[in-house]
Amino acid sequence: MYSLAKLPRGQSALKTALRRLVSSKASSAGGVSVIGFENKGPAATSSLTVAIKAGSRFESTPGVAHVLKNFAFKATANGSSLKTVRETELYGGVLSSALSREHIFLTAEFLRGDEEHFLSVLTSVLSSSQFYGHELKELVLPVVQSEAIAAQSSPITLALDAAHKLAFRKGLGNSLYASPHYPVTIDDVKSYAQGAFSKSNVAVIGSGISTESLSQVVSSAFGSGSSQPGSSGLNTSKTSYYGGEARIPLDIHAPPTALPTLVIAYGTSSPATLELKVLKQLLGGESSLKWTPGTSPLAQAADKVPGGSAKAFLLPYSDAALFGVVVSAPTSPQLAGLAKEVAQIIKSAGSAAKDEEIKRAVAKATFADATASETLEGLVANVGPALFAGGEVKSESFSGVSASSVSKAASELLKAKPTVVAVGNVNVLPYA
Amino acid sequence: MPSLTKMIFGNGPLGPSLAPWIRQRPGLQKYWARWSNFYKNAAGYRQKGYLYDDLIVEETPQVQKALQRLSPQQRYDRVFRMRRGILQSMGHKKLPKEQWTTPEQDVRYLTPLIEQVVAEEAERAEWDYMTVEKIQQKRAEKRNIFSKREGTH
Repeated sequence: MYSLAKLPRGQSALKTALRRLVSSKASSAGGVSVIGFENKGPAATSSLTVAIKAGSRFESTPGVAHVLKNFAFKATANGSSLKTVRETELYGGVLSSALSREHIFLTAEFLRGDEEHFLSVLTSVLSSSQFYGHELKELVLPVVQSEAIAAQSSPITLALDAAHKLAFRKGLGNSLYASPHYPVTIDDVKSYAQGAFSKSNVAVIGSGISTESLSQVVSSAFGSGSSQPGSSGLNTSKTSYYGGEARIPLDIHAPPTALPTLVIAYGTSSPATLELKVLKQLLGGESSLKWTPGTSPLAQAADKVPGGSAKAFLLPYSDAALFGVVVSAPTSPQLAGLAKEVAQIIKSAGSAAKDEEIKRAVAKATFADATASETLEGLVANVGPALFAGGEVKSESFSGVSASSVSKAASELLKAKPTVVAVGNVNVLPYA
Repeated sequence: MPSLTKMIFGNGPLGPSLAPWIRQRPGLQKYWARWSNFYKNAAGYRQKGYLYDDLIVEETPQVQKALQRLSPQQRYDRVFRMRRGILQSMGHKKLPKEQWTTPEQDVRYLTPLIEQVVAEEAERAEWDYMTVEKIQQKRAEKRNIFSKREGTH
């Protein structure tokens, strides 16, 4: 039986968290940023992730980033895609590729000891992908099509995509998914890949590997890499926030799990600040305990509608951020009522917050930040952009955040034009 | 160059052919070319406007897959040649001399694609029946900068 007095209390827990604020430095191996986290991840496996700054933001033709992400691990100079996959299975590893609005991530997870083989697989994708026309038609396009259809049938994904389009128009506003209205040819993919796979656009993140050994091997692997080291070859444009409104009907053939959804969002043309992170936790929407609604205003509002939910989100990008709430309810009339309440809550966000609520939000935000790097996905999503920005990964402390700074940030945010996307029975759902 | 077995017994839908063996011996090829050119002109397909690869039996899964890999222009031209050739055959006619296939036009456009498909199927069969002893042996004796040496820590 443990004595209660021995359990760590709030104050000392905060001190421990502050002590863990380490900053890891990346090294550059032949023009490629490299960072390794020796102590993260399971004991028996390591992983390597190559982050390429070639997300949907930089695409020259619509949908080409989605197709390029699915073209990973197809035929290279080392062998066909079948060879790559069967060899990986025999080694006992997992290959995957992911697309975000700013990056493409190629990941290999494997048993410790197989780092060399999987690094050669990843580098061969970057340097010698063959991009055969028949592979596009037979292997890649069916996957692209199924992913695009799955995105269309999920109202939340559809609404967020439309929200980005309204908020940022070009660049960050490009859709994550390819569309059948804009067919992608193999020449589009080849030219996009040529611009994307240059050394300055690439960073390598290792988990279970130290930075020194990783940079050694990466510089020899990338030594005879591709194109000019200095240029990126992809068009980068400054982001500006516009805002707007969109109403999309929900298909009558949509599955029963597709709930009518409404997204209310505000964007900024500057990177996400700590105040915005705290504001997201302040509005909340998630509950920390099963079978009870949360204490946050959004959660209390959503609790009134059975089966409804209202969750705040913050999507940070390198030079912009989108902050908002995703509201959904089982039927469109219920959603209309819930959305009106949520709009009221957002309008008064931050201004009427008590000190205790702010403290609670700060604690939640600190916890969220600290645990974001626990999973491989979260680690890569945090570290990748940081590597391209400055080469240093550090966790920031929320000590400078106070009630006044949060309310100031909220009022700044709400001055902009809102982005409202309604998916569902558009005759019933409210206007902005 | 394909193996001797493939040259004698055929490479899937392509049938036996000693051509790769002959092409490796330039003197022999120069002598042989006279007879192969005589045969190609005498065979009669050029007088009906076909290319040699139009005659390959297409009712096999490998050739069907290879036909999917043709470009749209190649596919259209092939269909045109088939329709024109069938018309000639029905009337027991040959095309006028200007429209006969010239040796420069008689490119083997389908054979490389068929070989590609057959090679892919062979690779899949090879992987399906492979044993894993070699890889385990390699891992035991492999040493790189990531692996720790015995005895040190």
